[in-house]
Amino acid sequence: MDGLIVQDDKSLDELIKRVRAAQTAYSTYTQEQVDKIFLAAATAADKARLDLAEMAVTETGMGIVEDKVIKNHYAAEYIYNAYRDVKTCDVVERDDAYGVEVLAEPVGVVAAIVPTTNPTSTAIFKALLALKTRNGIIFSPHPRAKDCTIKAAQIVLDAAVKAGAPKDLIGWIDVPSVALSSAVMSGCDLILATGGPGMVRAAYSSGKPAVGVGPGNTPVIIDSSADIELAASSVLHSKSFDNGMICASEQSVILLPDVYDKFKKELAFRGAYFLNNDEIDKVRATILINGSVNAKIVGQSAPTIAKLCGFEVPESARILVGEVSSVELEEPFAHEKLSPVLAMYKAKDFDDALAKAQKLVADGGYGHTSVIYANEIAAKDKIARFGDLMKTCRILLNTPAAQGGIGDIYNFKLRPSLTLGCGSWGGNSVSENVSVKHLLNYKTVAKRRENMLWFRAPEKVYFKKGCMPVALQELKDMGKKRVFIVTDEFLFKSGFSKQVSDRLNEMGIVNTTFADVQPDPTLASAKKGAEAMRSFEPDTIVALGGGSALDAGKIMWVLYEHPEVDFADMAMRFMDIRKRVYRFPEMGKKAYFVAITTTAGTGSEVTPFAVITDETTGLKYPIADYELLPKMAICDPMLMMGIPKGLTANSGYDAMVHALEALASVMSSDFANGMAKEAVKLIFEYLPAAYKNGADETARAEMAYAATMAGMAFANAFLGVCHSMAHKLGSYHHLPHGMANALLLEQVMRFNAAEAPAKMGTFPQYDHPVCLRRYAEVAEMLGLKGKTDEEKFEKLLEKLAALRKEVGLPDTIKAAGVPEDVFLEKLDAMSRDAFDDQCTGANPRYPMIAEIKQMYLNAYYGK
Amino acid sequence: MMNEIAKRSNKNVYRDGDLCYKVFAADYKKSDIFNEALNQARVEETGLFVPKIHEVKRLDDGRLAIVMDYVEGKSLAALIEENPAKRDKYLQRFIDIQLSMHALTAPELNKQRDKFMRKIDLSGLEATTRYELHMRLDGMPKHKKLCHGDFNPSNVIITADDRACVIDWSHATIGNASADTARTYLLFKLANDDNSAEQYMTMFCKRSDTARQYVEHWLPIVAASQMAKGKPEERNFLSVWADVCQYD
Repeated sequence: MDGLIVQDDKSLDELIKRVRAAQTAYSTYTQEQVDKIFLAAATAADKARLDLAEMAVTETGMGIVEDKVIKNHYAAEYIYNAYRDVKTCDVVERDDAYGVEVLAEPVGVVAAIVPTTNPTSTAIFKALLALKTRNGIIFSPHPRAKDCTIKAAQIVLDAAVKAGAPKDLIGWIDVPSVALSSAVMSGCDLILATGGPGMVRAAYSSGKPAVGVGPGNTPVIIDSSADIELAASSVLHSKSFDNGMICASEQSVILLPDVYDKFKKELAFRGAYFLNNDEIDKVRATILINGSVNAKIVGQSAPTIAKLCGFEVPESARILVGEVSSVELEEPFAHEKLSPVLAMYKAKDFDDALAKAQKLVADGGYGHTSVIYANEIAAKDKIARFGDLMKTCRILLNTPAAQGGIGDIYNFKLRPSLTLGCGSWGGNSVSENVSVKHLLNYKTVAKRRENMLWFRAPEKVYFKKGCMPVALQELKDMGKKRVFIVTDEFLFKSGFSKQVSDRLNEMGIVNTTFADVQPDPTLASAKKGAEAMRSFEPDTIVALGGGSALDAGKIMWVLYEHPEVDFADMAMRFMDIRKRVYRFPEMGKKAYFVAITTTAGTGSEVTPFAVITDETTGLKYPIADYELLPKMAICDPMLMMGIPKGLTANSGYDAMVHALEALASVMSSDFANGMAKEAVKLIFEYLPAAYKNGADETARAEMAYAATMAGMAFANAFLGVCHSMAHKLGSYHHLPHGMANALLLEQVMRFNAAEAPAKMGTFPQYDHPVCLRRYAEVAEMLGLKGKTDEEKFEKLLEKLAALRKEVGLPDTIKAAGVPEDVFLEKLDAMSRDAFDDQCTGANPRYPMIAEIKQMYLNAYYGK
Repeated sequence: MMNEIAKRSNKNVYRDGDLCYKVFAADYKKSDIFNEALNQARVEETGLFVPKIHEVKRLDDGRLAIVMDYVEGKSLAALIEENPAKRDKYLQRFIDIQLSMHALTAPELNKQRDKFMRKIDLSGLEATTRYELHMRLDGMPKHKKLCHGDFNPSNVIITADDRACVIDWSHATIGNASADTARTYLLFKLANDDNSAEQYMTMFCKRSDTARQYVEHWLPIVAASQMAKGKPEERNFLSVWADVCQYD
């Protein structure tokens, strides 16, 4: 760098300052400018490939000029080719539909540690990656190779600057030392460490993010199915490449016994020298000193190494092969040798070959590379086993390891790279071949988008007085032959269910009736029903009754189609039903499900919900999934003429709460709201009449429709904390479900109407607390007058209270007959359970447990 | 008045009743003498059995002496020589003493790593080899165990009541125990006692459940450090050990 010799802390600080300034300027360059610089730099490096190769061999005294030319050429050409069209600046990805944008930003200044084994090609590679990603880079060369590494960096820098890059973008340490290496690593933003394990460890301990590599100890298995000519020449080609100085190079070949001699003969024929026992010992004593590679043999030719060991081999010997048997570390041949010295093993069988390869990888090549030569088709299973067992990040098939591991020459899609990640096995943060993406920070710009909503309902909803027989006729038309009727004991004994079975009999549809269903249906009863179904084998299930019979029918349906299900899994809570961990099984393969409602309230005939109680544990499982949605719903008011007064009031008020909670829900939608508002209007208008005069056909009909519409609303918008609390109040204190809701509704509506709640519900559609307005809209629809939303809201509450009185429901929990001491004793547990109810999630205001408790108290004493 | 019990080129050791005088040659570096006394005082504070330091004093002839307890007994080296049949047992004891020392720490002692860094620079090896060694050292795990630095059987005294006293703490540091082990191995090798070296290494690794490769990783570093002493007869042997590399 101009006028700066980097040789101490002071000059290094100055260098970092300059590179950082240059990088800051470069970070504003456009993709077009960057690509122009990238091209110019790659071109210059490409042209200098031979000069740099000669320099490297002269300076380090290691390797082969002609092979280093290939490495340099590769670093320039393959890297350019791989990333020429890759976007690395600003917006690199955009999806308007989902509102997502990904921006690429440089990491800043990269510290690049360059080894002696590939001093110029690694420098070219890293410099090009840095340029393409708008990073600055500082090289810490190895003292043995500093001149050629600096020259390579200089060539790339000059070309880049000529093409418009800031002048100090690439820097280097002129007088390398471990201290300066450490200083540049802690002064940069990211470390690209290629070097010995010591250096890589130092990089990781510098406190800066590091992308490092590890040592390799590549084993090669030659299977019986291998093409021996290809295998022998490939091994020789790779092992002799640059005198064995690529970290991916083969260190050992493991042969199956039936191809041992053939492979040996072929390898010798193509130029390998096989050592005799005496020579093997000499090589052992020379290549390794106390477990470390003798520096004098690294990157030397086979004849030179032989001389160092004290014997002669022909000048034509390309590699030295030692036939050895131990794969333990005590055997020097089992190590990484960084030279054209190869170990050769004879395996007993394929399993033994795998075990040997595993051990060699464990000896010093965790995470790096392994190779197998085998017939891709005939030995498919063996290759798969090899792939499973090798703890290496590159598993190569029928490929020379050195030229194969660096990617894109002997294979496709293995990224071209001179820095090969070894994953956690090799103590690395990266297990792939290092590429541009490792030098970029990707910023994801995620725009707010609303969640998809849908409106789902049974494919057929029959309504109107006397629609049931018409609807049942359709089953005949659909070709249904066997119908299983689920109903409760009362409807069966009173002959009510005969209306269905008679009709089916008339049409010649075989049917049977299961009537052992109690209120709060149990798993035991559902299992019994499912058992009966399995022997009857229906193609249609007709559930007839109120919520209990319909829920029981749905559960039997599930057990009939999927006997293996676990209700504890199916009852899993969800934040978003479409993202729930549990996948509900597909329903309807065996039977078509028809729900006939005989009460005006639960809405179960049109909802995807069912509640079942495990009688052995007392646990209630609320099951929710659109798979549970009945295929056909029948809402025939004629079936409701005989509903007793109390049930009319309870279930009617339940329907009111369904509609109001669906309106308030974070998932409310115009579709569901239409249904819900109409239901509210009808219930106010007709519930008193249906209650007072059960024979009023109009009132019964409108109430029937209102309840089913409210059901369709909450089947899609879901409910809220009123239902959460009512579920627990009902089960803790044995109050009817509708009554429990009626007792809590006012408290919950006041809670939800708060304009500054402690916490809002979490759903993108629900963008600010808006419940007061929604309630006011309901009031407006009902013609309730008020100057402000608050006034309208109060009017609505008054009207709801009046309705409650009118249909004979109590004002407070206390008035409903729950003793004070029992209520208070169970209050904390009940509040906690209510909070955890599935219905809580859709509430527009996210409740604190203490807030639920306060609402309970208010509803108990009347406030 | 004082019995001479050991004589080296630059120091003599005398006994005077219950006291032991380690007397240094006049040209001995003053800071090294005080450092040795300080080291030993620090080790004494760990509770390990070592001769208690009393003072550093100037003798009438002007030389400096470290005055400490005299510990009566025989060195392990002498015992091994006297009872070759018990060699294995003594070697095992030697290792156990070293391990119990490694279990201690003395945070104020000098750092082994700093010492190695200095010695590598003084090794006389060429720059690239020194760079490799520095890099290797940099990547080794950093520990704080009490290391003797010259742990060999002649520095362990077994008393009449069979207690082990470790003497000569001039090279003590805190650092990586395997480096201390590598150093002991090297000392055996330099004494041309290959048998003991191998046996020591094998037994030590087994006893401490340490991988031999891990101890071996330190050998180039301890070899280079030893070169700083500048003994020409060791030079060839040590430079072979030091000139190794670890690439990826």
